[in-house]
Amino acid sequence: MNAHAASPLRRSTLDVFCAMLLVAVFAAIFWLAPEEQTMGPVQRIMYVHVAVAWCGLLCSIATAGAGALYLWRRTLVSDHWAQAAAEWGFLCCGLTLATGSLWAHEAWGVWWTWEPRLTSMCVLWTINCGYLLVRANLDEPHRRARVAAVIAILGALDVPLVVMATRWFRGMHPESPSMEPAMLGVLALTAVGFTLFSVGIVARRRGQLERLSQLEIAEFEQPQ
Amino acid sequence: MVSSRPALQAVDLSMRYSGRHVLRSVNFALAPGEIVALTGENGAGKTTLLRCLAWRTRPHTGDVYWHGEPAAHNGPGRAMVGLAAHETGLYPYLTARENLLFAARMHGLDQPSAKAAHWLSAAHMSACADQPAASLSKGTRQRLGLARALIHEPTILLLDEPFAGLDARSAAWLTDLLLNYRRQGRALCFSTHDLSVAHALGDRLIRLDRGCLQELPAHGARPSRAA
Amino acid sequence: MAAFWWLLQKDLVTEFRARQSWPTMVLLGGVIAMVFGLQLDGLTETRQALAGTMLWIATFFAAMTGLDRSFALERQDGCWECLRSYPISSTTLYLAKFASQALALALLQVVLTPLFIVLCHVAWQAPWWATLLVAALGNVCLAAVGTMIGALTSGMKHSGGLLVAVALPLTVPVLLAAADATRLMSAGQCDSAWWRWTNLLAVFAAIYLSAGAVLFEFVVED
Repeated sequence: MNAHAASPLRRSTLDVFCAMLLVAVFAAIFWLAPEEQTMGPVQRIMYVHVAVAWCGLLCSIATAGAGALYLWRRTLVSDHWAQAAAEWGFLCCGLTLATGSLWAHEAWGVWWTWEPRLTSMCVLWTINCGYLLVRANLDEPHRRARVAAVIAILGALDVPLVVMATRWFRGMHPESPSMEPAMLGVLALTAVGFTLFSVGIVARRRGQLERLSQLEIAEFEQPQ
Repeated sequence: MVSSRPALQAVDLSMRYSGRHVLRSVNFALAPGEIVALTGENGAGKTTLLRCLAWRTRPHTGDVYWHGEPAAHNGPGRAMVGLAAHETGLYPYLTARENLLFAARMHGLDQPSAKAAHWLSAAHMSACADQPAASLSKGTRQRLGLARALIHEPTILLLDEPFAGLDARSAAWLTDLLLNYRRQGRALCFSTHDLSVAHALGDRLIRLDRGCLQELPAHGARPSRAA
Repeated sequence: MAAFWWLLQKDLVTEFRARQSWPTMVLLGGVIAMVFGLQLDGLTETRQALAGTMLWIATFFAAMTGLDRSFALERQDGCWECLRSYPISSTTLYLAKFASQALALALLQVVLTPLFIVLCHVAWQAPWWATLLVAALGNVCLAAVGTMIGALTSGMKHSGGLLVAVALPLTVPVLLAAADATRLMSAGQCDSAWWRWTNLLAVFAAIYLSAGAVLFEFVVED
């Protein structure tokens, strides 16, 4: 079996692993986690919300890190990681806002409030939007990588704001609510599960971008 | 006079725009005291090649060396190169004198006012020295743009169709200038569509065709691919 | 150091003669002040509470308009590229562009702040030093981010829209802090809460200016 034949098998294995992870995570949320007394079943949104929020922040840091690596090494592989992480981070931040909104409607009676944690997360999501918009407007790969890297590094400055928002500014968002050990266990499991799932998705997407890039190069190298 | 080390060397330059091949593994060397004329059809990539040689555009692959030093990340080395492109680099709201003065100051030249005055006089622009660049005629702006590009007296000159739009007097001025530079041992490469100018001025003629560089011979002989 | 002054002089002379950025900035800011004053006429408390926010929103959008025009002017006829080819450090280039933007914003604030006070009947009880401090810090933040993003997005398709799309989320924390600080000081409350917002502005100013000075090298290469 040569290297090219092995790649689709590795990709399929990764896909199956990611799917199983998701199933395990949701099984834990719906069957392992005890029901919360005040909010009832709706409280289970919190597990997804915290996990995708954590993944969104991680992806923002990863995008900035990969961008910085590109600026240092000037290899497009780094930029592919940055793009993949940014796309997934954009989705995760969006999901964070959506799941948070569902939870807030039940807990606070409003779909949205401009309290510090929500505001800073919304800002991070719009920074991701701006990053992807700029990428979409640049055709030349190395210029796109360089410009995107600078924006990602600047954008990562918002991550500490999101993390520390509840500590530095007074707001409604829970800081570290006390939970039963079973709930904490499911929360940890969900966070780890979503993180591994995110790594798999980002790796898959990076592979796609790499293959697209190689196709472009092959087309370029064809004799005329 | 040709020294052994090239003033400018390009190794394996490749460049593409929107999937179109512009430069394909171009290798090129320019010796001190040599004038090379670059020809090619419209859209052949002459401007892109000159920009890559001046490291104004980073090629996708390949390296450029100026007097043996790599062009990449070579801020101080930029003083060795002068690129006179289609775009003149003139601030439209600054006068001709102010544009040259600004360029001289940015290059850190001694006595920038004297340098600016010298170039205004040499390029026959003393009469319009205090007019805004935007109000000058196309030919005058072109001469001013050339003066701006050359004010720091680079040892490597790259000129993109410098004779286009020049009247006979300006063309004669430019020809004298380039021949003078060659006598001083500077290396020059200019692009042109006019083969008579290319043959008259160039020590060598090269042609860019479908991303590849071909050395053109004297009249009558077959072309060969440039090394 | 000399290159910084020559670059700044060139920008100021060009802008003074071209009159493209500054009048547009002042006009846009003035229109926002007029609309705000008109819409909230009679609602004294609401106007007083929102004046700081509207002032900074007007400043932001006017600044983005000015930046877009300024870099468009610089891009004409290959001037920006020639600027990058001179043997000057990217930090010097950044600081010079930043300084010219900061001066433009200062001019804008000198016009806009009294305009808001007059058109919106805002009772301004802030001490002069507090007004200067908040204006200067907010100005530095906007100019630092705007110069960076303006240079990045100029020359691209839809550069004006992209400039706002990228600069706005980066400056939202700055605008929030500046708006809150302005609201408090306009009511004469230069207390611990006001200092918290002002300190946050100072931290952002330091971070964005440093990041700009370091990262501009990657902005200017081609």
